[in-house]
Amino acid sequence: MLSPVKLWRNQKNVGKMLGKIGKIISWTMVRVPPADFSDQAPYPVVLVELSGGERITAQLVDPPAGGQAGKEKLMGMKVITVVRRTIKPNNEGVIPYGIKVKPC
Amino acid sequence: MNVSIIGASTTKFGELWSVSPRTLAHEAMDGALKDAAMKPRDIQALFVGNMLSGMLGGQEHLGAFFAEELGFTHAAAFKVEGACASGGLAIHNAFNAIASGQYETVAVLGVEKMTDHKPEDVATALMGAGTAQERSSGCTFPGLYAILARIHMQEYGTTQEDLAAVAVKNHFHASLNPNAQFRSLLTIEQVLRSHAVADPLKLLDCSPISDGAAALILSRKKVNGKREKEIEIVASAVATDTLGLAQRESLTELAASQEAARRAYAIAGVGPRDIDIAEVHDCFTIAEILALEDIGFYRKGMAARAISRGEVTLGKAKKLVVNPSGGLKGCGHPIGATGVKQVVELVTQLRGVAGARQVKGARVGLAHNVGGSGATAVAHILKS
Repeated sequence: MLSPVKLWRNQKNVGKMLGKIGKIISWTMVRVPPADFSDQAPYPVVLVELSGGERITAQLVDPPAGGQAGKEKLMGMKVITVVRRTIKPNNEGVIPYGIKVKPC
Repeated sequence: MNVSIIGASTTKFGELWSVSPRTLAHEAMDGALKDAAMKPRDIQALFVGNMLSGMLGGQEHLGAFFAEELGFTHAAAFKVEGACASGGLAIHNAFNAIASGQYETVAVLGVEKMTDHKPEDVATALMGAGTAQERSSGCTFPGLYAILARIHMQEYGTTQEDLAAVAVKNHFHASLNPNAQFRSLLTIEQVLRSHAVADPLKLLDCSPISDGAAALILSRKKVNGKREKEIEIVASAVATDTLGLAQRESLTELAASQEAARRAYAIAGVGPRDIDIAEVHDCFTIAEILALEDIGFYRKGMAARAISRGEVTLGKAKKLVVNPSGGLKGCGHPIGATGVKQVVELVTQLRGVAGARQVKGARVGLAHNVGGSGATAVAHILKS
């Protein structure tokens, strides 16, 4: 459930995660998504090892050649963390933002 | 103090639209009580394994809810939650409740009602077992295990066919189990041709969404002599790891499974080679491969080929048979019921009354139940 208070509290941490470089160490293509992500599927979710050694799970945006075609190249691909809207806003009208990664 | 299982029962697993959670609980518990020759008033405490009653059904407070429903008037009652390991955790707590000396006879109920809800709502609810980061990435449980599968494939050359072989074996076992959700045989080609859910996992690499319940009656072991049909729990162990996949030290193993198994072997004084039957947590085909390696049946990277060769298939195995019930894949996976059903299957096998799927001469059994992507693992070892 989207809570404006929870979003306000957690989104203060988003900034700290921005602009980090890493490489994809595994990935999947989610074709049967959770309810809030229905309008986005299918989309790649990747496991990234950041240069400092920390690992994150994130959605990959702007994949090269898009979806299926870029599939083979995803392992080892260099990516950077960016801020993006994660799901559609609910009735409260607050837009949830989060960390995603894109090729760099 | 020695703890024994004196009653065990499970409902049929499947898409049971006409059946309510209350009815499921009654069917499983009435069966277990009858098996134990006990009455509801003999039960001093109830441990309910369940994950999603709040998120999907809007009903919490399950201890009192089912104690009332089952006629365990004024009994101590608890809901135990640990995602897909809820059932195994409920057994662990029930075991300790007797071992502590406070109770003599307790009941365990594993129950889950999932098919009343849309798949995308179930997918959302299940992600409650993951981290906020995993939820915000839009990942799903098939997705998390797909990420593990791809790493295993890269490290050890595990193939899509190896994954499919797990589903084929477990459907074969399920075809011999009247309570299983799927009684139909599969071929490798059918698995490979099924549509992708979260690449590289296909629909038929995934356990289904299911309804079902399973129940056990546990009691202090008689000092003099043995009750008929009694099966002893010789070890009950739990271990945890980071909630999220990304934070794990290694991605080619589930360290919680290794640790829970190691502890269980140490308590029971047995090793992997002593195990005749194992019910392991195959929520996805890759999960059975990881489990057989993590529990110590095979070295890392060796389990996939062994399963493909039929080494743990009923009728072909030299000793160890894995998932004779059909596992989560073939028998079905009503979350909270799964860990309890695994132990019901071991009891049935160790008593030698499993019918067409009986593993001949089975004396030592191991149950392995995992929560989330490996954040909780439970291991039980039973002896006849």
